[in-house]
Amino acid sequence: MFGIAIFLASIIGVFLGLFLFSRPKIAHPMLNLLNLVETIPDIPLLVLLLPIFGLGKEPTIVASVLYSLLPITRNTYTGLKEVDLKYVDIARAMGLSEKDILLKVRIPLSLPMIVGGLRIALVFTMGVVTLGGLIAAGGLGAALIAGIQLYKINTILVAGLWTGLLAVIFDGLAGIVEKRLQRRYGIW
Amino acid sequence: MASKRLFDKIDSIQLLSVTKKYDDRFAINDISIDIEGGELVIFIGPSGSGKTTTLRMINRLIEPDSGTILINDQNVMELEPVALRRNIGYVIQNIGLFPHMNIAENIGLVAKLEGWDEKKIKDRVEYLLDFVSLPSEMFMDRYPHQLSGGQQQRVGLARALMMDPPLLLMDEPFGALDPILRKQLQEEFYQIREKLGKTIIFVTHDIEEAFKLGDRIAIMDDAKLVQIGTAEELIFHPANEMVASIVDTSKKFKHLDTLKIKDLISPLECMYVHDGSLDVEGAISSMIEKNIEIAVVSNGSGPLGIVKLIDLLRMDDKESKIVDHVIEIPSFSRNELLSSSLKIMQKDGHSMAFVMTDGKLSGFLFPNDAFSQVIG
Repeated sequence: MFGIAIFLASIIGVFLGLFLFSRPKIAHPMLNLLNLVETIPDIPLLVLLLPIFGLGKEPTIVASVLYSLLPITRNTYTGLKEVDLKYVDIARAMGLSEKDILLKVRIPLSLPMIVGGLRIALVFTMGVVTLGGLIAAGGLGAALIAGIQLYKINTILVAGLWTGLLAVIFDGLAGIVEKRLQRRYGIW
Repeated sequence: MASKRLFDKIDSIQLLSVTKKYDDRFAINDISIDIEGGELVIFIGPSGSGKTTTLRMINRLIEPDSGTILINDQNVMELEPVALRRNIGYVIQNIGLFPHMNIAENIGLVAKLEGWDEKKIKDRVEYLLDFVSLPSEMFMDRYPHQLSGGQQQRVGLARALMMDPPLLLMDEPFGALDPILRKQLQEEFYQIREKLGKTIIFVTHDIEEAFKLGDRIAIMDDAKLVQIGTAEELIFHPANEMVASIVDTSKKFKHLDTLKIKDLISPLECMYVHDGSLDVEGAISSMIEKNIEIAVVSNGSGPLGIVKLIDLLRMDDKESKIVDHVIEIPSFSRNELLSSSLKIMQKDGHSMAFVMTDGKLSGFLFPNDAFSQVIG
């Protein structure tokens, strides 16, 4: 569930970022819309999605994707846009087509930014997926909710620590990837 | 996708009444230039004078509002820009090596897009790295940020040469380097230029660089071409005050007027002095032993002149005294003005002079040395 949510959010987020980059006019309204989604608290969002997707995994995944979209899309868009113009200029002067400039220069150079967005999304998703336990999405969230409802301290502790630990591990891994990209490029 | 080779050799580049405006301001105002194949033309002028804009119009990075640019009589506006640019090498001041690619990938990028096979790319990259004096095995796998500024600029040149373009555009390629490194790269570039055999258009704001490297120099000011010509033409027949002030090399030597001989003296060492009563044979062995080419001949009270080893060796009569073979040279007091002394020496064709302090020999003056010190 977590994997699916992150996978979908990355694909949609990166492509949305690319799309917004190619249509600068709608970039701002779109990013504002995503900002708006971001302001909806997570439990109400889940509740809002229930009538559409029913109980279980689907609304949880949709909610995770909605939350993760903003950091990934915004970082992709900003990354592409903020690539140092001197690289774009020399690429053009060397005879790269606009497509080549996007594929060979802009995207690779914005990878550290994109991974940074992904890293934020990982943590968001972790939280939402756990909340999914409330609406029968299963997973660690279910154990946690059960623990709370039955007031079983041990269950709460084990499930809570696991969730927290997983979040820290994923964030750490993404952080390592991000750092390595930055160091390799030596530009940030 | 392989693009067409548009030209193997540049026969001519012509700019015909080219104009470019940004809003109301002229970036280029009605410029016409004829450049021959194989020439190195330098554009020089104050910043904002339009020299870079002119350069960037040749590979269509900027398109003119009016006028025509022809390369080998083909209008560049009718050529496909990507193909055009792959036929023209481009080097810029800030180099712009891609930080996410290693050196080999940076140099080989366009070749890869052109669909060259790996082996061919690798061979060419190695050849080019060696050409710009970077050992290929040491540099191919490094990333740009691991290289010094000078090394990066060499890679920048190698990258521009990858597709073996007949035309190179260079926009202040040495501008960001420190002065010593700049001199060195200019020197290297000067050396390899012959081997390159390319038509080169070069932008700089450094008149020395222009004089050193350029076949012809185009002086730009306020979006206009003021004058184009060889260094001699610009110096001796400047079109206006502005050209005169840019090319005024005498300005550089103005402080020569204030220099005195003592500022550029080469001190005398005892081993140079030989007594006039010495015979040729003895002088030769003494000079060879001391490893000197010239000896000062003295009569005890003061210097009479010099003898040269090469002359002494040719003499038949090795018994004769060196005082009979003395070549007289001018002597100046150490407080005389350098400029007037140099003039006298130049008039009489002397390559050295004595410098006297209180009537005694204290050193030499070598005009060549003096010049290189003043200029360098």
